Amino acid sequence: MPPLDPPIPHSLLPTTLQRLPSIPAPKGRSAPTTEVRTLIDELLAEQKSLQTPVARFSEVHDREPDLAPHYRTLIPLTKPGAGEQYAFEVSLDRCTGCKACVSACHSLNGLDDDEAWRDVGTIHGGRDTPGWQQTITTACHHCEDPGCMNGCPVGAYEKDADTGIVRHLDDQCIGCSYCILKCPYDVPKYSKKRGIVRKCDMCHQRLAEGEAPACVQACPTEAIRIIKVPTHTTATTDRLFQSTINHQPSTIPLPTITRPTTRYVGREVPATAVAADRDTLVPQHAHWPLVFMLMLTQAGIGLLLGGMGHPPVILAAAALFFTGMGASVLHLGQPLKAWRFFLGLRTSWLSREILAFSLFAPIPLILAALPFLPDFPHKSSLALGTSYLALGTSHLALPLGLAAVFTSVMIYHDTRRTSWRFPRTAIRFFGTVLCFAALGLLLAAPSPAGLTVFIAAVIAKMIPESRITRLASDRNAEWSPDLHSSRMLRGPLSGVWDGRVLLAFLAVAVAPLQPWLALPFLLAAELLERQLFFQSVHAPKMPGHPGAASHHHP
Amino acid sequence: MIPPDLLRQRHGPLTRELVQTPGNFGLGRVPARLKPAATTTSICGYCATGCQLKVHLDEDGRALNLSPSTDYPVNLGMACPKGWQSLDPLDSPDRGTTPLLRDASGSLRPVDWNEAIATFVDRFQDIRQRHGRESAAFLSTGQIPLEEMAFLGCLWKSGMGFLHGDANTRQCMATAATAYKQSFGFDAPPYTYADFEESDVIVLVGSNLCIAHPILWQRVTRNTRQPRIIVIDPRATETAQSAQLHLPLKPKGDLPLYYALAHCILRDGRIDPASIGRCDGFDAFAEFVRTFTPESVESSTGIPAATIEALARDVSEPGKRVSWWWTMGVNQSHEGVRTAQAIINLCLLTGNIGKPGTGPNSITGQCNAMGSRLFSNTTSLVGGHDFADPSHRLKVAGILGLPSDSIPADPSLAYDQILDAAGRGEIKALWIIATNPFHSWIDSGRLAALRESLEFLVVQDMYPDTESARVADLYLPAAGWGEKSGTFINSERRIGTLKPFRQAPGLALTDFRIFRLIARAWGCGEMFERWTDPEAAFRLLRDSTRDRPCDITGIDGYDHLDRCGGIQWPFPAGSSKDEVPSARERRLFEEGNYYTSSGKAKILFSPPAELPEPTDVEHPFTLLTGRGTSSQWHTQTRTGRSAILRKLYPAGLWVEIHPDDAARLGIAEGRPVTLRSRRGELDATAYLAPTVQPGHLFLPMHYPEVNRLTHPSFDPHSRQPNYKACAVAIHPAAPRA
Repeated sequence: MPPLDPPIPHSLLPTTLQRLPSIPAPKGRSAPTTEVRTLIDELLAEQKSLQTPVARFSEVHDREPDLAPHYRTLIPLTKPGAGEQYAFEVSLDRCTGCKACVSACHSLNGLDDDEAWRDVGTIHGGRDTPGWQQTITTACHHCEDPGCMNGCPVGAYEKDADTGIVRHLDDQCIGCSYCILKCPYDVPKYSKKRGIVRKCDMCHQRLAEGEAPACVQACPTEAIRIIKVPTHTTATTDRLFQSTINHQPSTIPLPTITRPTTRYVGREVPATAVAADRDTLVPQHAHWPLVFMLMLTQAGIGLLLGGMGHPPVILAAAALFFTGMGASVLHLGQPLKAWRFFLGLRTSWLSREILAFSLFAPIPLILAALPFLPDFPHKSSLALGTSYLALGTSHLALPLGLAAVFTSVMIYHDTRRTSWRFPRTAIRFFGTVLCFAALGLLLAAPSPAGLTVFIAAVIAKMIPESRITRLASDRNAEWSPDLHSSRMLRGPLSGVWDGRVLLAFLAVAVAPLQPWLALPFLLAAELLERQLFFQSVHAPKMPGHPGAASHHHP
Repeated sequence: MIPPDLLRQRHGPLTRELVQTPGNFGLGRVPARLKPAATTTSICGYCATGCQLKVHLDEDGRALNLSPSTDYPVNLGMACPKGWQSLDPLDSPDRGTTPLLRDASGSLRPVDWNEAIATFVDRFQDIRQRHGRESAAFLSTGQIPLEEMAFLGCLWKSGMGFLHGDANTRQCMATAATAYKQSFGFDAPPYTYADFEESDVIVLVGSNLCIAHPILWQRVTRNTRQPRIIVIDPRATETAQSAQLHLPLKPKGDLPLYYALAHCILRDGRIDPASIGRCDGFDAFAEFVRTFTPESVESSTGIPAATIEALARDVSEPGKRVSWWWTMGVNQSHEGVRTAQAIINLCLLTGNIGKPGTGPNSITGQCNAMGSRLFSNTTSLVGGHDFADPSHRLKVAGILGLPSDSIPADPSLAYDQILDAAGRGEIKALWIIATNPFHSWIDSGRLAALRESLEFLVVQDMYPDTESARVADLYLPAAGWGEKSGTFINSERRIGTLKPFRQAPGLALTDFRIFRLIARAWGCGEMFERWTDPEAAFRLLRDSTRDRPCDITGIDGYDHLDRCGGIQWPFPAGSSKDEVPSARERRLFEEGNYYTSSGKAKILFSPPAELPEPTDVEHPFTLLTGRGTSSQWHTQTRTGRSAILRKLYPAGLWVEIHPDDAARLGIAEGRPVTLRSRRGELDATAYLAPTVQPGHLFLPMHYPEVNRLTHPSFDPHSRQPNYKACAVAIHPAAPRA
């Protein structure tokens, strides 16, 4: 064991005490007697033996759970009928924020050290009702139209036909995390050590045996119960989600996207209520493989389109494109299971993206490989073939390439996150294609006109981005997801934003000297742009607690 | 043919991880890999609610998991997150596994127990020889079993021959203990938790029950009498949100408020003459409160006279059962004892005592604060006795087998006085056990200065990295809750047992075993020969309570406690061994007999004192401190090591400020701010919380920097620190260089 040094972390002590003097050696130290030495050994041995008195034998036998009489009224007597499903009901009058539900979920489901499928946050009254405060306990809402399920490319989610419980098939999951982006309530959580996500299953194994879910069992004030709700109706009794419908924009997610079934009942929620963590500025996950994948595939497609017919440019384009494709695999926790991607084609833009990119991928390969074809006998006939191939491929490159980028745009648009809405994402993604296409043209055929187009494209692309950053200048602006992004760009991400702008201008500055020099600068600038795309987004979630979300340790 | 799982893999290793199986033992379904082979029970080691946990064991008797006990009369199958996560702190890689001794370079280096104990004994014997019995002190805790507290107290005073020792219960319960002792003649919280369910009017004073004692709030919600719930608190806490009436009074405005209530009640004759007949001091009190009209206290309480009048009617309604419950808002005050007694007086005037659903009821803080009050041998002699009474000393010495002249007749210094004496150089050495004063003591910066004047500092704790352990000369690794047996006494006087179900890491030993070792090495081993194990010690301590109000001589031993679902004191010999259900919840003073020499309760009062540190131009805000969330405990040495609990509270220190104040000072939500008092400063993140009043700031106490600001003032009767009101300034933090 290493010595503990420095002695104090929080500079609680004056500097004179940062290193305490050693204690003076006692005069004539008495060595411990044999008696004391023996006792030490005895006590250490005693300490290692567990003689825990255990439950009496009568307790051992299988019997009704001790808590059954308590929760019998908190779960339905019968299974849901036609047109019904199970749902959580939370009484706002009864929930006081003790958070026992979170611990019980963790402990009774045997989850990882820091894993719980329920969370508790706070909302307060906001402008019109200061002094009002309410804790909000949340698990999966087992939505009628689950975003997670619709987005999953491999069908790893199922909505149980009888109970309406949205279940995650852990062994089917490929760990793409798209469900995390698709869920407006931040419910599925990624497990790094397993490479999959996990989420609340409403303790379906317990419910099937007439036992209450862990959180229902553990709530000291009986604030959580399981009810049966009719499907395909609007929850007019719901206090929380109704308040957000009446008052937009709100940090409490809109219920119209996925139709959550949880019913918050009891005291009314003021229209101006806000989540306590609304103004917390914590950057979202960067998803680095996706940053690289999106940016590099779009750069590759752009270069390819712009540099058509010029082998070095096509070669560079293909290299960038396939590096991007490679990066996308790194994003998956279970890549070997990804072959099932076609299962999601009906609803998932991620499935469609995989398909679109698979169809497009041969094009850069063929275009890059053609100039290197060796001479064959019967070359003329083959040359005819290859030239048709080249011609066909070049003609397909534009529609297929743009279609692939379109699927990428739709993946983010379909999350319904405000700052990822179609025009925003499309301008970014197609803007990247355009910038690199302009660069491709310039590389293939340097000209003042080409240079002007390139410079204009790079600078124009930054205009909408910089307009977002300016929103935070208005101190009286009402909260909105865009304002949140703006504060992120001006606050924790300001360095990245500055770098993004600086690198773009460097790309523009070096392009007149040597267009190839502009390539690395533009790549770096666009990488940072894409990092900001992910990190500055306002991700809707259920209310959290105030203060930073990273964790304190003594 | 396509295998069914080919397209949809519904089974497999990842799915299997979450498969559940019947757990038996009345547990319902549990994760298959955590299915217990046996169970045992243990009282939770955090707060004084005293919930019982059912611990799930594997074949070797080692704890796998736990859940709250269902048939225990305290918690009825529920626990708060701290209780649920009780095993996490035991598993921390930060546990102390070996004694550590500061070496010549000033670093702590591992040593074995031989060297540790030899150093301990040599140093303390040397200091005692040179400077006498008043030259060292221990600072102990309300977090260890009473057998260990008593062993420490007796070892220190009778065995090692020192005089001074106190515990962190001084920071939480001293006021309530002193108030009861003065008013009733014994430190006797009169209630039982069932009173929450039996009340018509529940008044919560300076108590955020929902967060600090969630399982007691559960009892409030089980009340079927549609109680009127009134919260008196400067903040609109979670509990205030759930109340019918919240009185946002000025900090420390409660004493004049209660005198005004007494004024109204007496003026309107809404009193219980029979109850008043069992009190001394009524006439003087009636005269005293004559001037406390509701109008006269409007400015000191911040409560309109009409509200005070209405409250007076609420708490004196004839035929209604009114119970008063207080926690740290009252206790941690410069005049907490008189405030608690003002509540006691209201109950005595209206006859709200000794009946179901009534009482002036102090809700205790730590799991064994009540054990400490009876058995720690600090302020009172073991078993609820007086050091000053020769017959008590003789009796206790006889029962415990201590030499009769070894029990001192003179009192110990209180915590603050011990630190003062250390500051003056009169106390040369401190032995700190299971507490963290370098974080928790008021005006903690003083501790740092004082450390330099100490010749020897020993810290005995589960972790060598607490703020206190890091500055120790000698660190002794202690086993924790879950690794030891013993008993706790909860807020309603219920005694319950702890069990060992985990091995302590490395060389760590229970505090009990460390005390045995020190007794032997010091040369007083024979005096404690009968203290072989905690249950043997318990029987000695039980016998010492004979004929005291806390007489528990009817308890056989730990098994008897477990069989009865814990036993409330008193339980004298001759009590029915197997408690009938009606005896599971018992209250005191049902006959109206108090423990004073006259048998009557005393009505005690003083004029309200000035605030120790009022706000001024330079420090215009009143700083309140207290519990942050239900998942945090004191200095976080344990709760900070649970990943789940860490998820449930903000990452860093936050300060709650009213939005109007924040707007005025240009402080935005989530931005860094600096707070400054006359004693120190700290940085925090602003949380614009309309639940604090304008002019107030609230800091959660769980962060080491908080007590750099607090003002060292103390209740004159209880010596409890006044954590909850001092003057500070706040401004946006300067941008980082």
